[in-house]
This record gives sequence, C-alpha cells and structure tokens, in this order.
Amino acid sequence: MREPTIKSIPYEEFTDNEYLEKMVADLNEKGTNVIVSNLDAFINWGRSNSLWSLTFGTSCCAIEFMALGAARYDMARFGFEVTRNSPRQADMIMVLGTITHKMAPVLKRLYDQMAEPKYVIAIGGCTISGGPFRSSYHVVMGIDEIIPVDVFVPGCPPRPEAFYYGMMQLQRKIKLENFFGTVNRKEKEPEEDKE
Amino acid sequence: MNFMMFMVAILAALLLVTAALVIAKLIGPRSFNAQKGEPYECGMLTHGDTWVQFKVGYYLYAVLYLVFDVEAMFLFPWATIAGELGTAALTGVIFFLGILILGLAYAWRKGALEWK
Amino acid sequence: MSMKDLILKIAPSATFEEQGDFVAVVSKEEFRSLMEKLHADYDYLRDVVGFDLVESLGALYYLESSTTFERVAVKTSTLDRENPLLPSVCDLWKTAEIKEREVYDLLGIRFIGNPDMRRIFLREDWVGYPLRKDYDMDSNPLNMTNEQNADTTTEVTLTAGGDFKEVQNQIFGKDDFVVNFGPQHPSTHGVLRMRVHLDGEEVKKVDPICGYIHRGIEKMCESLTYPQTLALTDRMDYLSANQNRHAVCLCVEQAMGLEISERAQYIRTIVDELQRLNSHLLFFSCLVLDMGGLTPFFYGFRDREMILDILEDTTGGRLIQNYYVIGGVQADLHPDFQKKVKAFIVHFRGILHEYHEIFTGNVIARNRLIGIGKLTREQTIALGCTGGTGRASGWANDVRKHHPYALYNKVEFKEILHTEGDCYARYMVRMEEMLESMHIIEQLIDNIPEGECKVKTKPIIKVPEGIYSASVEASRGEFGVFLVSDGGKNPARLHFRSTGLPLVHALDTACAGSKIADFIAIGATLDYVIPDIDR
Repeated sequence: MREPTIKSIPYEEFTDNEYLEKMVADLNEKGTNVIVSNLDAFINWGRSNSLWSLTFGTSCCAIEFMALGAARYDMARFGFEVTRNSPRQADMIMVLGTITHKMAPVLKRLYDQMAEPKYVIAIGGCTISGGPFRSSYHVVMGIDEIIPVDVFVPGCPPRPEAFYYGMMQLQRKIKLENFFGTVNRKEKEPEEDKE
Repeated sequence: MNFMMFMVAILAALLLVTAALVIAKLIGPRSFNAQKGEPYECGMLTHGDTWVQFKVGYYLYAVLYLVFDVEAMFLFPWATIAGELGTAALTGVIFFLGILILGLAYAWRKGALEWK
Repeated sequence: MSMKDLILKIAPSATFEEQGDFVAVVSKEEFRSLMEKLHADYDYLRDVVGFDLVESLGALYYLESSTTFERVAVKTSTLDRENPLLPSVCDLWKTAEIKEREVYDLLGIRFIGNPDMRRIFLREDWVGYPLRKDYDMDSNPLNMTNEQNADTTTEVTLTAGGDFKEVQNQIFGKDDFVVNFGPQHPSTHGVLRMRVHLDGEEVKKVDPICGYIHRGIEKMCESLTYPQTLALTDRMDYLSANQNRHAVCLCVEQAMGLEISERAQYIRTIVDELQRLNSHLLFFSCLVLDMGGLTPFFYGFRDREMILDILEDTTGGRLIQNYYVIGGVQADLHPDFQKKVKAFIVHFRGILHEYHEIFTGNVIARNRLIGIGKLTREQTIALGCTGGTGRASGWANDVRKHHPYALYNKVEFKEILHTEGDCYARYMVRMEEMLESMHIIEQLIDNIPEGECKVKTKPIIKVPEGIYSASVEASRGEFGVFLVSDGGKNPARLHFRSTGLPLVHALDTACAGSKIADFIAIGATLDYVIPDIDR
C-alpha cells in the first residue's frame, strides 16, 4: 500500500498504523487503476494540506485551540489556515470542549449542514467519554454517540503538540482515501430519512 | 492589439469560471439531507417569518453606494489617459463631478449619510 | 446598634446561625420587609444561593454595601416542596431577576413578583429540578429534538385576596424581528445564545439563553469530597483557574481554621497575579479579534505564552493547572521561577507600548469604543457587575482592597477606577490593571520566605457544620464560594458565584439602542467566559 507521508516524521513513529492499514485493505478490495490512483493521491494531497475547520469551541480546549492558531504554535503552516464560521465552507469540525445535552442537537445540525467531504476531530477528554464530568446529568458521554468521529485526541486540555499529532493523523487518513468512487460518491440519503 | 489582449482576458475569465463549476460538478461529492437545505442560524432552527418589513435606511445606503460606485467606474478609464485628452476632457469631467457633488451635498444636508 | 439588634428590630422572630458565617434566618413572611429595610444600606446583592436541606427548600441572600463594604447574609426557606414560593427581591436589586431564575431552574422555587420565571440553564422541556436531593439522575435522557423557546413567560403574582395568580408576560411580540446570535458564533466568547430583537441595525432587546455548557458542577460537587471538588473549579472560568481554586481553598481553610504557611501565601498571590495578567492579555486579544483586527491578537498570545511557560514549569499545566490544594500549594516552585518572572516583567513593561500603539490610539478603535455601551455606577451596582466592568463605571469593588485575603493587605497597589462606564473605560481599566499586577509581583518576588509549601491536613477533610463563604477577585470580577456543610466529607451545598452571569444580564441594559456592531464590542468588553456562567 502507499504509505501516507508526513514531512520529517517517519511512518514508524506514528501509533495506530494498523487502523490505516486495515482501512487501505478494505478500500483496495475492489482494485483501482493507476491513473485514477495517482489522481487520487494528488487530490488527497491537496485536500489534506488545506483542511479548514469550523469555529466550534465550547470550553477550555478552545483556548488551547486559539493558542494553536497564534504565533507560537502556528497552525497555518499546516494548511489549517483559517477557521470558517459557516459550516457550508468548512472541511472539518474540531469539537473543542464538553458537549452538553442542550448543545447536542446544535452540534448534530451543524454537522449535517456541513458539505461533504467532512471530518470530525474529537478533542479533549470531555468529547471522548465525558471526561471529568462523567457523573453529570447534562453531559453527553462521548460525542461519538451523536456524530461519527475520525480522530480522538485525549488530554485535559491536550497540549498544542497533541493537537498537531491528531491533525497529522487525520491528514494521513485523508491521504489514503480513494477520492474517486468513495469520498465523492457517498450514497444518497434515503428520502424518508428526514429530521 | 489592445483589443486582442482584452478578448483574451475575457475568454480566460469565462473559461476559468466555467471550468471551476463544471469540474466541481463532475468530481465533487454528492450528499443530500434535510439539514443541508436549511438556512444557517448558528445551529438553531429559524423561528418566525422571513418576509418582514425592512428599514428604509438599508435602501438609501444601497442607492447612494450605487451612484458613487458608478461614478468611480466612469472616472477610472478617464484617469488612465487623462494626460492625452487635454483640458477639454478635464472640464467635461469636472462638470460631471460637480453635478454628483451637488447630489452628495444634498444627501449630506438631508441626513441620509447618518444611520437613523 | 449591632447588626443582630438591627435585624431583630425589623424582624422580631429572626434567629441566627450558630456556626460559620453570620447569617440571619427569617421566615418568609418577614423576609420581604427585612429586605426592603436592608436595601437602603446594602445596595449590592452578591448572590442568591438556593439550597435543598431535605425538609425545607430555601435561599440564602448575600448582601454588601458599596460604600461601607459591610456584608450581611439572610436565609429564608419554605416547607412546601410541591409548590415552593418565596417573595422576589428583583424590584430592589435588578440582578435578582436572573439569579432567581437560576434558583428556579435548579431547585424549583418560584419567586412571587419576578417578571420572568423561565428556566435558564436547562431545556424548557426538562422534567425535574436537578439540585434537589431526591432528583433522579437518569430522569432526562439525551433529547435530540430541536428545543422550542417560548416567546412568553409566566409571573407569579399575589392578588389582593391573598391568592397566587399566574400572569403571562411577553418577551417578544409577534411582529418582532428576532435573530439568534447562536451558540456557535465566533464572537460570543463561548456558547452563549442570545435572541436579539432588531429594528433594522438597532438592537432593541437582548434575551440571553445560557446552559449550552451547563455541566452540573454544583450537583457533582455534592457527591465529591472537598479535595475532589477542586478538580472541577479550574474548568469553570479557565482563565481565572488558579483564582477560582484559591476561593475554594480559602473557604474550606477558613471553615476548618487551618493556617497555611507564609511561603504558600506568597506563592498563591504571585500565581494569582500571573493568572490575572494571562487573562487580561487574552481579553485584549479576543477584543481586537471581535472588532476585526487580527494582528494584535498575536501580540496578546505571544506574551501570554511566556506566562504559560513560567506556570508550566511549576505546575505542569498550561491552562488547567491543578496547583492549589487545601493547605497550601501542591508542589514547590521551580528553581527558575523568580528569574523567569523578573525577566518576563522587564520584557512586558518594555513591550506594552506596542499594544497601545496598534490599538488604543487607532481611530477606528476609538470610534467603536468611546461612548458605546454606557453603564452608570448605580446600574452596575444594581446589576451586580463586579470586576473591571464595575470599576470602569466608578464602583470601587475590588475584593483585594476591601476584603483582603492572601497578602493583598501587605502590598501596595492602586485600584483602577474610571467613571465614564463606556467600552473604552472598561478596556483601559484592564490595561492599567496589568501594570498594577506587575507592580504587585515585583514587590513580592524577591521576598518569598523559605518554608513548606503545604501544611499537613487530615487524609479525609471534614468541614464543621455551618454556612461558610469566601470570595476572591478573579480576573473578571468577584468569584465567591458559598458552602453549606453538614459536618461530613461531602459538601451539602457548594455554590459558586459566577462572575459572568450578571454581566450577561447587563447586556440588555448596556445595549439598548446600539447597533449590531456595537453589541459585539460591548459583549467583548464586558469580558465574560461562558463556562463560568453555566457552571
């Protein structure tokens, strides 16, 4: 399989390589031709290096995200140049901070309003499993109850370097996707499945 | 010769725009759900009618902007060759500007430039 | 005449709590007349703390005078658990409008005469009242349907015949154009939803809907031990994380009668002031970001990173630091701490002029901030807007000056007061406070005494029975901790006075007649942090 390359970090130093290898094996069952797979690689390279996220910060992790966007941990050099305020213009949603029962429908609606292809990174303990608030009556115990998540970044809050690790994992995942045939032809939602 | 470059510029613009739209339609992803058609209001559903009475201030603002934008558009081509055209054109342009300045002064006096 | 005699004169059947703070317990019949008499001197309502003490439901009212800085607390309760009703005081202190809504939301007590008895944190179709002791934690599973927000609200009034009647009040009319400044918004400093009635560009009314980050911290604290509650305090107002922890530690230490070492006091004061610098730098960055300037945002964060480095060496965390504990601080200072702090202060003093050059003198910033969102001194006191907002309107409310704790009575610093009360004054108050913070640190940094950083406490910390409170000057205002203890190892009721809830309530008053762009500027200068409001 083609190995997703991240500049200056060798493939072996990432964890979760088995997940990516399995994903590629599933995708390659059908087989692709050489031209399309090179075009895939080219388009995926472009996509993964310019992922713009939706401004969605609920609590503490959002401050670390702002620090990530600031001058010291400059995320623009990774291509995460700006954050878009409208979900229709965003590529991914970085869920930063606890999601409560009141906020869950809002998150789901924003996720639905985003245009394909879209990704979700769950940042912080609260989004993975409820975090320090596991005994609360108003916290969603992990956002994968409501939306599908691509990368989980644990921490409370995770350091900006941990954010980068999560973002690089997402980039590797995108680089391995088959754009033609998979990402750009997701099934149409059945007509009766309306909110 | 100037016209050739102009034609090339127009054709390139048309081509780029069409290509962007067509390629996006061909290879872009397709996905439909009910929420994608909803208007975006920070994650909440909209409430109430959208056909409401708008303040006339918005209309005045738009009209004033339009008039002076068109004026600027007329001034740009003149400005590029102002030197060659000489004093006759200059007086013509000053006359043109004078009428519009009178209009601006009237709008200013009447308070159309403040938001009320 | 002492406070006790004064109260007994107005409410003859009042009793007083034996242990803990001085709290007058009055019946709900005499409560209203007592509060009317107290309002004349005590014009600042610090907080309304609802509680559920199994037999009775009630509320504690903490009052303070803005001129003499005396404090008094009044407690009242009702035995009716089916339909608990207490008289409202929102015509005396405007901030009670929103605090009583919180008590209604979490405990179910309705207030007679409050014009707006809606829930504030939980969904309008939530069943039950979480802070009650008999609340079933699984009774409200995740509900993904869209929440409908009513345009009307109920008010409970007392008719002439002595019966209670419910009256409908209108929040928004049928023809009003109402727009959501929704939960997901770049300029709301968190997840705050505001329904705004607009007339063209002009803001007519603001109705804030909080609760999108309500994590139920106060309820969780009732099942945690005291050291465990400290884990959650950092996560409320994360930009005053250490100051919040300081408040809880102060409250428990004072209740237990524990003296902490001098070294720990020095460390706490210095780290508090570093936290304040950190928070004001972020205030500056977010203010200019909201107004549209991206460059000064980087200035603020660049210097903030230096403070975070210093704190990270000692505490291990950048944002959530878990540093103070009951009895002192968790670990001793890093050996380079003093050197780095002194280097930072020299650097920051030299670079502060850049902030003023790029933003304060800018003609656009001045036009957008001067004269906008005026709040008078009486309005800020009635609304309970502490912190920089109150000081910008002339209200001297700095807890460090008037109710000193830690080492604040031993250092010399000015309390920054402006009188205009507009956005520009609120902004300048915080910029000048940064200089004062550095001045405080300079006085203390060379004189840290040797000693242990943490006093030995029992393994299980039990606070004696009674009602205790403590307050600190957090970066945004007065952060108070109110503790009702029954002698066990878990608090019976632990309430945090939010610095931001009165500020959000003040939006309606401050934004009357402004345009949308001004509304954003006012929200940014009021400087609230939403997880602190919602707890």
